[in-house]
Amino acid sequence: MNIFSEIYGTYFRITAKLLEKEVTDEKTIRDTVMHEGFKDTVLFLPQKLIPGSESTGLFKRTEDGRLRRITNDPPVKLLTGIQKSWLKSKLADPRIRLFMNDDVIAELNEKLGEISPLYRQEHFRFTDRFADSDDYLDEGYISHFRTALKAVKSRSIVYIDFVSGHGRQMSGKFVLLKMEYSPKNDKFRAYCFLLRNDRIKSSGIINIGRITNIFDTGRVFRTPVSIDDYFLSRKCTAPAVIKVTSERNGVERFMTEFASYEKHTVRDMQSGEYTVELWYDEQDETEVLIRLLSFGPVIEIMGPEHLREKARQRIRKQYEFIMQNDGNGTSE
Amino acid sequence: MAGFSELIKNFGKTRDYIRDFFIYGCKVRSDFDRKSLRTYSDEKRRVESWMGDYMRYDESVRGRSVSISVDSGHIPENPLYNAFYSKSFTDNDMVLHFLLMDILSDGKCMALKDIVDELNNEYSMLLDEQTVRNKLKEYTQEGLIISEKRGKTLYYSLSSDRADEYISSFEGLDDALKFFSETQHFGVIGNSILKTVGLNNDLFFIKHNYIIHTLEDILIPEILNAIDEKRHITLRTFSAKSRSVTDDMGREAQVVPMQILISVQTGRRYLAAYIPAVRRFTAFRLDYIKTIKKSTACEDYDELKDKYENNIPHCFGVSFGTRRDTGTVTPMKITFYADEENEPHILERLLREKRCCTLEKRGENLYTLTADVFDPNEMMQWVKTFIGRIVKIEGGTNDIIQRFNDDIIRMEKMYGGDRDEHIQ
Repeated sequence: MNIFSEIYGTYFRITAKLLEKEVTDEKTIRDTVMHEGFKDTVLFLPQKLIPGSESTGLFKRTEDGRLRRITNDPPVKLLTGIQKSWLKSKLADPRIRLFMNDDVIAELNEKLGEISPLYRQEHFRFTDRFADSDDYLDEGYISHFRTALKAVKSRSIVYIDFVSGHGRQMSGKFVLLKMEYSPKNDKFRAYCFLLRNDRIKSSGIINIGRITNIFDTGRVFRTPVSIDDYFLSRKCTAPAVIKVTSERNGVERFMTEFASYEKHTVRDMQSGEYTVELWYDEQDETEVLIRLLSFGPVIEIMGPEHLREKARQRIRKQYEFIMQNDGNGTSE
Repeated sequence: MAGFSELIKNFGKTRDYIRDFFIYGCKVRSDFDRKSLRTYSDEKRRVESWMGDYMRYDESVRGRSVSISVDSGHIPENPLYNAFYSKSFTDNDMVLHFLLMDILSDGKCMALKDIVDELNNEYSMLLDEQTVRNKLKEYTQEGLIISEKRGKTLYYSLSSDRADEYISSFEGLDDALKFFSETQHFGVIGNSILKTVGLNNDLFFIKHNYIIHTLEDILIPEILNAIDEKRHITLRTFSAKSRSVTDDMGREAQVVPMQILISVQTGRRYLAAYIPAVRRFTAFRLDYIKTIKKSTACEDYDELKDKYENNIPHCFGVSFGTRRDTGTVTPMKITFYADEENEPHILERLLREKRCCTLEKRGENLYTLTADVFDPNEMMQWVKTFIGRIVKIEGGTNDIIQRFNDDIIRMEKMYGGDRDEHIQ
């Protein structure tokens, strides 16, 4: 069993979709391939399906020039062994209870029968995950999660009481756009717009674990909202500009660690240094700053000015600690 | 055009290229000196074909650089899954796939000879018995087909497990698939189920999302098998330093696999393993492993596993240090300043990020973290996230403390002290 197999491949998937209808035509084949395939698939797949010298014969041309499948029925959508094994593993993941009730989980487990799980949780170990993860076994948490998820799907307006990151009790009416999960924090959050008089007042993000009360108002927010506009509203106005040197394998380490960010990289051939422009969510600025500082002198924050200034202040304080220690020999 | 295919036979070769496009982001053709220019062009074109809008091109004096630029926290689907969906196949593979499904779709149980006859008579496909037998055997292993012996004859039928029926029968499974398809472990498998039924993840985004990890998923099932069967594995690695050198074969090592270690902060995953040749545990980066092969049974696996379980709590990250056994470690003590009244979040950070260390209040606004770890040096990158608050470092080694102090002095100069020339 291997997921790298043509049975999961894009070409087979497109072909299965085209075989769902008894009769189709060349235009539909090309349009479907263009829409569902890779950039170059249209150069390779249509000729395997449209009758001709390279055809596989899965479609025959009819008298009126259309294409009829040679199969009797639409292709069945089977689960493979590895997919069932994967599902079995997921049933042991506590987060499954956010989506499915215990009786449904038990039924699915029974349906999968003797299938061995693809993996067990103890095969893996997260070395640096934060310790205050969400409690996926807490019934209150599960209930809040499900209400929030339902609101995302239905775009209904929800009333939420929650405790902010600074410990303040907050409340209001919100429209929830999407859910976010962080494997580092092992927490779910909801992207939202705060509403005032049924109009969008500001964008925000709410930790599901900090919600104390949530209920659906029963009203749907009908104004079109765009997730791109939401992200744009939270993006830094200017990217962090970072000079990265090759000292201590800095380039590889930096690029790997910051791989999840949108960035633009330029290499200086003379010095071998890289200059990286890094875009981030403004709310995450402190997280970005401390991660940058953790690289020490291997990297330098060149801009924007306010970010460099924050770095400078922290380094200054640290420098003073070292000088104090140096004076009384406390640093060893 | 001639000779180019956007599909691939060998996943490993492509893994390497995608990683370089993705991680480095500014390499030009001449940087890929391990392969011929033809290979580079083909690989680049494939990646362009799969990644679509995520490719970025920049002109420079050295040539046109190609990169994959993804804000992976803001995408509903990992674009690198496309590499898995690009396996090459023959026309016979394709025809047999759809015709076998069709022949057996009404619940029939058929012998090989009858299937071959039906292919010929009903679909005008003349295929020899051996070809059909091989495909039936392959699909039995994949779990699509069930084979059953009656007398001396094997009969074949389709599996009754249908993805669309599962999703309609088990409430919440669709949303669970949407979530798990973008998270560890093996999200690509969940994504393949969604694609089978024509669904997409339209609910979840993943922050701190290292999408490149999916390329290593190709290695992991074999490792997990070896762990379960208590076997050695032979792995072939290439080191970071030799990546750009002509040695493409890498180095081979025989190890006893213990666990997959995942760093959600540095973007790396590792195989923790025991190396019998040097009698110590170590962690191999998965992105530097080219191939894995299961090998002989390990007679003392349980004993090694016990040792591993004793050792791993003393790793701050993945380093087992250089000692062979647990032995004595000079604990490192780091004292942090945190204003308890106005900065409770600092104390919260220490508590949630301290891992195996212990935290004690040492005085007013002072907290000391004691780290009884194999490799104190491994802690220092994390410790430096507290720059501006590190009052004192004790224990560990003198080298570590000296380097930390030197780094701060260099940074103080770099950022201009009180006279920052960059922001005047």
